[in-house]
Amino acid sequence: MRRFVTPHPGDDLAAVAARELPGVDEADHQLLSWNLHLAARAGLGRSVGLLPSDIVFTEPPLPAR
Amino acid sequence: MLDLVIRDGLIVDGSGLPGRRGDLAIHDGKIVGVGGRAGEARRELSAAGRVVAPGFIDPHTHYDAQLCFDPYAFPAIEHGVTTVVPGNCSLSLAPLRVDQRDAFSRMFRLIEEMPEAAFDAGVDWRWGETFGGWLDALTGNLALNVAPLVGHSVLRMFVMGPEAQERPATADEVEQMASLLRECLDAGAVGLSTSFVDIDDTYRPVPSRWAAPEELDALSAVLGERNAVLQIVHEFFNTDLTIARIEMLADLSLRHGITTTLSPIFHSQADRTGVARILDAVGAARARGAAVWPQVQTRPIDISFTLDQRSLMLLTMPSWWQVASIGDRTAKLAAVSDRRQALVDEMDSLAQRPNGGLGAGGFVVRDVVLDRNRDLIGRSIDDIATERGCSHGEALLDLTLEEELGTWFIRESIGHDDSEAVGALLADPNVHVGASDGGAHVGSFSTFGDTGYLFSEFVRTTGSLSLEQAVKKITLDPATIWGIDDRGLLAPGNAADVVVFDADTIGRGPEIASDDFPGDGIRWIRRQEGVDTVVVNGDVTWTNDDGYVADARGGVIATR
Repeated sequence: MRRFVTPHPGDDLAAVAARELPGVDEADHQLLSWNLHLAARAGLGRSVGLLPSDIVFTEPPLPAR
Repeated sequence: MLDLVIRDGLIVDGSGLPGRRGDLAIHDGKIVGVGGRAGEARRELSAAGRVVAPGFIDPHTHYDAQLCFDPYAFPAIEHGVTTVVPGNCSLSLAPLRVDQRDAFSRMFRLIEEMPEAAFDAGVDWRWGETFGGWLDALTGNLALNVAPLVGHSVLRMFVMGPEAQERPATADEVEQMASLLRECLDAGAVGLSTSFVDIDDTYRPVPSRWAAPEELDALSAVLGERNAVLQIVHEFFNTDLTIARIEMLADLSLRHGITTTLSPIFHSQADRTGVARILDAVGAARARGAAVWPQVQTRPIDISFTLDQRSLMLLTMPSWWQVASIGDRTAKLAAVSDRRQALVDEMDSLAQRPNGGLGAGGFVVRDVVLDRNRDLIGRSIDDIATERGCSHGEALLDLTLEEELGTWFIRESIGHDDSEAVGALLADPNVHVGASDGGAHVGSFSTFGDTGYLFSEFVRTTGSLSLEQAVKKITLDPATIWGIDDRGLLAPGNAADVVVFDADTIGRGPEIASDDFPGDGIRWIRRQEGVDTVVVNGDVTWTNDDGYVADARGGVIATR
């Protein structure tokens, strides 16, 4: 199963990236690319950012079996 | 003397064991004899050549509003459904404060696609604000049984007001929600429902999505106190997210000793390993001792739409959604005409989306208003556009404008339509048959007939399940999973919910338009095929010969 976290209060993706991917270059961009379900949300009406119940994957999709 | 005897049927009792021929005896609303030859009864029905089974249980419905004006949940009963679970996906009609009714109604009508006129005419809020009040209002006026869920979104609204859609709850608010949940469970709720996907009519996530994991954990602890169920609607369009939710549910199940269920799971040609990965995750959860039950619907996905009624299918197309949401028909027609090019462009862009295929070209004309267009029925938009030398969007929009918005379009078998694969999924012992969405999405597709389709397609055609396995899947399995203790099995002492049907012909009729709801507009329904008789708590409620029994009110709140 892919590793994931749920956001802390006040988190945005950059905050999650800093916490979960310390020392990784452009970690927030990496994180966004692994969580396109969150990127797509901005396309629908006003963006609400991260929700407390969101799942944020902290690694890329696992290789297909 | 007995009240009712159903004689000489093949008794398929719901256990999954082979059927046996004999009589079923009923008295005082209970089963008093299974098999053998029963004594005399005030009413006797012959079931020679027919199957006698427990009434079917539909665990994923949204009959909340319909039950307020239709005690039969028409046409659910004639399909053999005798118990329904409303209140799924975080939305129940109670508990709700008076000043929250309008906001809730808009949310429910959008998400569950219930026409405004029908909702407003049928839901009179006579019960006040409490969950128990709602159940009291239904009691005595039900032709089928109800095992209701309470919605997480309404719990949040009740406690937090408008801030339910703005922030996580404080510790004090979580405790208030926990107390309110206890009250609802004690009043008769079978569990709690929550949503991780839905939005309201302003595109804002529904209240349950603003809950921190700690909030759901605290509410699950209350479910554990009462041995109640947690239902979620998850990100079903994404396998990885589905698996993550299964992991979350497994943790909640183990921590609080609760049964959890997620719906829906679809078989998708676009992600052919998705179902196998999901079942692996469920199996892993099961191996840990967790109760995580994915719900799988039997029917393929078909979606119809017209600009005359708002459809969720248009939600991801902002221009179309905007015009579809205009209430006044004349104003809507003018808006569609004024914004023609933007609407055409947006419809044409469908083909550019991932897995977009033909885009709008895949729609088929389902029904027309004008006689001169009748030859278009059954033809695809791709076909019509090619003939007219225009784009898909132009063909679709110009036809609907010509017909003053009355044209119906359908896209059939969008997914979940590989019967061999779906049959194997339904037969999996870790899968729960559900997700009919009964009573919802009335203009998009029929939510009736899934049980008949289980037999016609997956017993008779593909042979994925035996007759006895199929009956168990929609009787004893859901009764056990949902803790509906005295139903789902034909056994002495259990409630006399019974369906008599012909195993060779049970199925679902064609999808037809019905204008039976209050207000204008139509909904799509399917009538039964192959069902003879339906009994609810000992009351003969529907027969194929005489139809619905007037004033049949044998239904109860099944969890009281």
